[in-house]
Amino acid sequence: MINFELTEDQQMIRDSAREFVKRHVAPDVISRDSKKEFPRNLVQKLAEQGLMGIYHEEAYGGGGFDTVSFCLVIEEIARWDASLALTVASHTSLGAGHIALAGTHEQKEKYLAPLTSGEKLAGWCLTEPGSGSDASGLKTTAVRKEDKWILNGTKIFITQGSVGDIYVVLAKTDPDKGTKGITGYIVEKNWKGVNPGEPIHKLGMNSSDTTEIVFENVEVPLENQLGEQGKGFIDTMKVLDGGRIGIGALSVGIARGAFEESMKYSQERQQFGRPVGNFQAVEHKLVQMATEIDAARILVHRAALLKDRNSPYTKEASMAKLFASELAVKAADEAVQIHGGYGYTKEYHVERFLRDAKLMTIGEGTSEIQKMIIARELRKEFGY
Amino acid sequence: MKFYVCIKQVPDVNAPLQIRDGELLQDRDRMILNAYDASAVEESLVLTEEHGGKVEVVMVGPDKARETLRKALAMGADNGTMILTDRPDLDSTAYSRILAAFFKDKDYDFICCGKQAQDTDAGLTGSMLAEQLELPYVSNAVGLNYENEKLIVRRQGDAGQEIIELPSPGLVTCSNDMNEPRIPNLKGIMQSKKKPVDSITPEDLGIDIGSIELSTNILGFEEMPERETGKKFEGDPDEIAREVARLLDQEAGLV
Repeated sequence: MINFELTEDQQMIRDSAREFVKRHVAPDVISRDSKKEFPRNLVQKLAEQGLMGIYHEEAYGGGGFDTVSFCLVIEEIARWDASLALTVASHTSLGAGHIALAGTHEQKEKYLAPLTSGEKLAGWCLTEPGSGSDASGLKTTAVRKEDKWILNGTKIFITQGSVGDIYVVLAKTDPDKGTKGITGYIVEKNWKGVNPGEPIHKLGMNSSDTTEIVFENVEVPLENQLGEQGKGFIDTMKVLDGGRIGIGALSVGIARGAFEESMKYSQERQQFGRPVGNFQAVEHKLVQMATEIDAARILVHRAALLKDRNSPYTKEASMAKLFASELAVKAADEAVQIHGGYGYTKEYHVERFLRDAKLMTIGEGTSEIQKMIIARELRKEFGY
Repeated sequence: MKFYVCIKQVPDVNAPLQIRDGELLQDRDRMILNAYDASAVEESLVLTEEHGGKVEVVMVGPDKARETLRKALAMGADNGTMILTDRPDLDSTAYSRILAAFFKDKDYDFICCGKQAQDTDAGLTGSMLAEQLELPYVSNAVGLNYENEKLIVRRQGDAGQEIIELPSPGLVTCSNDMNEPRIPNLKGIMQSKKKPVDSITPEDLGIDIGSIELSTNILGFEEMPERETGKKFEGDPDEIAREVARLLDQEAGLV
């Protein structure tokens, strides 16, 4: 298990992703953030590189690579553009991830293949105005009517909500059964009654698309039920475990961006006759960042490795997400501090890192929820 | 149309150079495909994609440089040959001799090389190889086209471009201005694992690498000396001018 060296495949994928990001992603990231535009052309380019389904099965158009490779790519993208990394991570591990996990062969051929090729984008619809991590409280319903399911409800904070083509929607089929009454469905955006809202204005992640979606008497064919009836919640928990690894990798990318920009700036910026980076006050910040980034990456890769080995990884994924996301906020905050007045401006990257990083401690389960999960797993380990 | 592209692994020029005890530190993360060679690979791929044919890459280097060969395969080259040697001190003479021995019994239309390698910037291997193989040769190409079984090579001059016809078999060295080399995609990376790579040694080519003749010796590596800070003059312009003139004359010896 303990091997800190990347395989040749992993190294090649990381290097390719790094080159791609440097050439295509880094140059206009500040303008994309301020225009709040979803970069379809970049997503198309990512798809051509094969980066929209890195770890999904080759049989369904995926790359067939491991989760560590996926983490490396997400980190490289997030180093410059966290919004774009969020698009790739949520598309791959939530929407496409749920279909890969619970879909039938036919469903994967019809829906997973166009997602892994990047021809279509996925949105994953769990959160509602009244329920987040407490998924048992969701109000969207699916009622069986002859040979259809009729879907009604409102979902919110859906990544790829308006730019997505295929949604996975979690709905109550047996309202009395709590978490055991939830089922997943594959829904196409162009179906009647599927109404994505306008993009929601956010603190950060500006060029990632987030909207509300209202489902109004949407007729879902029986064959679009995803997984067994009543097993939607269990699948959701598994999908989230995987998703948290991606958020961990994304957080490492943001923290690395914050660190690298600070390293560069603090060596170039002179005050009192020497680089500010040579003052111990700044040095210590940089050292703390560099050390914790390495630690976070190791936690993320450990969770990824466990996932690939089909070993339990719920606790490890939550630990990685918790540590890395808190670090991303802290590192971005320190980066703005190190940059001083310039760091507060939109001429530099670090203020964006700070705004983007904050989602990391919230999305796919807040830090507080991660602690609940870790505590529960710890109690299990100790037999309580 | 059969292309051979000669490639080399070099330290990444964008990573800061690290020298320890007179040796260049060459860790795995800092080694890349020479950018000029990447352009040669790209141009060969574009031409064979358009006109049909094969691209084979050949590299002289240590076993750990294999990943660079794999990168060229991931870009799209069909197969590769690795000529294995651990000698770190080979110069252009030695490289070109090894490559000439390799090409002696090969069939090809064109050999493409980068016009130089980013490690030494010597820019000699291609021309020495052409000389030893007695091939028609054009250096420093910025554009290649294929017409009537000949390569139409563009070379950049100060005032315009020179357009030269290169018959087959021939050798051309490529500038990195000619294209933007493709970045290997996941499919390419996956396929590169299955592409055939021959591993041979210089001995297989009849060359005793231990006693191969070098025309130059690398004595060691040194850090660049720190530049002295410039002099700043303040005060009355006439006095400054007089002082600068005095320094140019007496200290710099330029007047």
